[in-house]
Amino acid sequence: MPDAALDEIFRQIAAIWPVSHALCNSFLKAVKKGLTCLHHSQLADWVKTILAAYESGGLHQTRQLLERVEETFLCTIRGETGISLAEVTGRLQPYATGLAGHPLELIPGQEVYTDTAAVYLPPGIAVFPKQTDNFLLYKLIISFQWAFTAIGTFSLHLPAGSPAIPAATRRQRTALPPACTGLNDYCNLFAKPAVAAHLFHLGETARATVFLREKLPGLMRESGPIFQALARTIPRGAEGSTGDLQRTILLRAAEDTGETPSAPHPVTSLFNGLFRENATSQDSACFATKAYARFLDLTGEPAPPIIFQGVLRPAEVLAVQRKKRAAAKEQFIEALTAVINAQTPRNAPGEKEKGEVQGTGFPDLEGQTAAVIPPEGAGKDTQGTKPQGEKTLEFITIDDSHIDLPDKLKKLAREIVEDLGQIPSQYLSSAKQAAGKGLAQGNAPAPREGEPLAGADLFIFDEWDYRRAGFRKNWCSLAVKKIIPVAGTFVGNTLKRYRGHLTRLKRQFEMMRNQERFVRRQKDGDEIDLDALIETLADIKAGLSPSEDLYIRLARDKRNISALFLVDMSSSTEGWVNTALKEALILMCEALEVLGDTYGIYGFSGMRRTRSELFRIKDLGEPYDDAVKGRIAAIAPQEYTRMGPPIRHLTRLLAESEARIKLLITLSDGKPEDYDDYKGEYAIEDTRHALIEAKAQGVHPFCITIDKQAHAYLPHMYGEVNYICIDEVGKLPNRIPEIYRGLTS
Amino acid sequence: MKKIATAAQLIAEKPFYLEQAEELHIAKTAYHNGLPILLKGPTGCGKTRFMHRLAWELTRPLITVSCHDDLSTSDLIGRFLIKGGEAVWMDGPLTKAVRTGAICYLDEIVEARKDTTVVIHPLADDRRELPIEKLGETLTAPPEFMLAISYNPGYQSVLKDLKQSTRQRFVSFEFNYPPPELEARIVREESGIEQPLAEKLVRLATMTRSLKDSGLQEGASTRLLIHAGKLIKSGIQPRTACKATITETLTDDHEMLAALEEITSSLF
Repeated sequence: MPDAALDEIFRQIAAIWPVSHALCNSFLKAVKKGLTCLHHSQLADWVKTILAAYESGGLHQTRQLLERVEETFLCTIRGETGISLAEVTGRLQPYATGLAGHPLELIPGQEVYTDTAAVYLPPGIAVFPKQTDNFLLYKLIISFQWAFTAIGTFSLHLPAGSPAIPAATRRQRTALPPACTGLNDYCNLFAKPAVAAHLFHLGETARATVFLREKLPGLMRESGPIFQALARTIPRGAEGSTGDLQRTILLRAAEDTGETPSAPHPVTSLFNGLFRENATSQDSACFATKAYARFLDLTGEPAPPIIFQGVLRPAEVLAVQRKKRAAAKEQFIEALTAVINAQTPRNAPGEKEKGEVQGTGFPDLEGQTAAVIPPEGAGKDTQGTKPQGEKTLEFITIDDSHIDLPDKLKKLAREIVEDLGQIPSQYLSSAKQAAGKGLAQGNAPAPREGEPLAGADLFIFDEWDYRRAGFRKNWCSLAVKKIIPVAGTFVGNTLKRYRGHLTRLKRQFEMMRNQERFVRRQKDGDEIDLDALIETLADIKAGLSPSEDLYIRLARDKRNISALFLVDMSSSTEGWVNTALKEALILMCEALEVLGDTYGIYGFSGMRRTRSELFRIKDLGEPYDDAVKGRIAAIAPQEYTRMGPPIRHLTRLLAESEARIKLLITLSDGKPEDYDDYKGEYAIEDTRHALIEAKAQGVHPFCITIDKQAHAYLPHMYGEVNYICIDEVGKLPNRIPEIYRGLTS
Repeated sequence: MKKIATAAQLIAEKPFYLEQAEELHIAKTAYHNGLPILLKGPTGCGKTRFMHRLAWELTRPLITVSCHDDLSTSDLIGRFLIKGGEAVWMDGPLTKAVRTGAICYLDEIVEARKDTTVVIHPLADDRRELPIEKLGETLTAPPEFMLAISYNPGYQSVLKDLKQSTRQRFVSFEFNYPPPELEARIVREESGIEQPLAEKLVRLATMTRSLKDSGLQEGASTRLLIHAGKLIKSGIQPRTACKATITETLTDDHEMLAALEEITSSLF
């Protein structure tokens, strides 16, 4: 070993020894091998990487680095590490959402699979030397995983007697399920469900290939070389082995028909039949059933899946479907309850005592089953021209009375019918029940006597009850409280973190301040307004009295805007949401200081109607000083979200301000909800009414939310265009000032 | 003198327009009853084309005024000009339309100053009058005259909203992007490309529209698709054409640009 190398090694020992003796020993053992591919001048960098790994994950973490220098260290230097998911999420997330038409999350995971709401991908891909190819592979994974959902892999449905149901099962079990639904059930028909799933998945991948060739021809064409390269990596196996089938898929995908054996095995030809455009998931199941026996004959292990193919996780898909179904059920019942309530006359509209016999308003409810009018019957006469297959559900009958569905409910019902084939009667009976006792349950306990309802900072508000279309008088009390400022590094850190962004923001807001424009027809000014002059001359000639406003003046428009920010401090904002909100507020304040609009910030929370709380963070016109910064830093999640009282209070504040434009911007993370009956439709309707009252006072309400369900209720509360949903919490700090800018220019 | 974008002509050729609901029929009925109309909808979804078709079907000239924030009342109604030492009255586009019984279409009305918007009020209710202060005269609109305005409710600016007192004078139509089959047909007819290509363009547009909450302000409009189709028809590669007409037009954000590129390259 040359002296220079030895010197370098000794120098590095001095660096490692104080950190860990054990690591130093391992280093000495590995260094000789390491120097076979490293030049000794690179030793320092190598050690630096090793130490970093040690500090983050201990000795265990460094093993790879020490033993496999070539792959783990040298490749990084040469830029051949492949790409990480984090690098490309920015580009691929919108791609995935665009494909699916709804948010399809990309999540790093050990295995590639989809649960229909998200795609799980490897955190990094380094299959190919070229980055573009690795990127394309990511794109392929997303496209294929989306395709599985799109071609109905997860909604396998086998009618009784289908050839896909293995004959053995047909014989063995006397009581066969009437129809084999669901992927899980199908796989469980076999002794080795995993094998069946694997074979079925191969069939589906074949179908997905055809599907993608049709839908995304550009992608498939571009990926041709990738398919071929992947095909070359699969070891040759017997005909009909899973590896062989995978190769067929890849070659087909590359539009390279390859060599086909002159007399293919029946299983192979069955498989080839799946590359038709009209093949169904049932065909794939047939293939899997036939191939199952042959696969066991070949006694091979299933080949590892092609990278973009991933694995099937029917259980997780089922979980997502269940969740979706439950959400749909809840929404449906809630909406239907409201409809029933609205359409059925009530006995006691106002305050009903708790515990009153439920369903008194519906004497004929008990015992009768609810029935759904099949969609075809309803839709036929009016919607005759609609394309077939699109079912329309116009109304539902409960106890012989028609209930016409509003559009929202119709859409929901259609989704449920698409999912389950019909609306389960349980949904309807639940809605019936809820409608029956909605009013009875709907009341908060009466205020305890002697509770203080008056005070300097205590305000009493009415609350809107949509069921009686009137106010509950003096129903809520709102306490305005102070937040104790905390001193800390939060504000400083935020300013440091967003330094670059802040400079840009300030410049943008500065430009808004200097809205310079020429005002024409002024009594005095810098220049003569030629238009006005000519007009005046003409007026004189025409014998009219001439105008004297003949000058142009450069005017700087004074912005006359008051804005109040209302921050949701409910417990659900705990954690990252709270931090993002606070960061956003700091940035917003910095930008608004430049702009000069008057603004205030309030937080709200509370529990029950007697204890709504409004936290004063910054009053309108209060200077933005350290105390305000401290209070922003002190914002912390509290309890519930009763939105009516704070909105009404802030409306009052804004109404007193003399600004020409008054803005009320709510930053929220979900639906209004309180501990008592303030939830669901009632809460939404009260909030909506509070906002209508605000509008009547000349206040423009606007909502910025991070709730992904926002589209379901915010348009109703705020109006179609008066809200923005931000899909990622991390974007809040950057987006909120931008939104404010858009709102007021 | 300010130049105002006006154009008054009888439309000679039948403009291509696919009816989605009964909008043409309703608009014609409104016309015969002397009611003004309000068109709302996102940019590039066919509002202006609809007006052309309506004007053609009613065989009335169409005067279009594109509103901007400096549009004054005299820009609409008219002013005295000096010609050879004489003061001569020049009708503005609105006055001209009332006098000749034309259809006056004020495009993007919310862009105009609020005080300007008010002058159309007496014209838009049952009086159907246009007072011309300078001339001391009040014009009564003939039955052939029609007032139409348009705006895009998608702008989330508190400064750009149509006042209730204005909007409650109009018969309103909501325009939106047509359903996929219809939109593909429109793109095909307008740009002359083949059906499969038109369908792909529509699929691209649908994908961009579903990104509206994930960073795009608006999805691709039908108009953009037609632009893309025309470039493709003239021999430009589909990917290049989409980049020029759709991707780059929709956003400046680099990540979003890259994502849209990925979508286009997958489709074409």
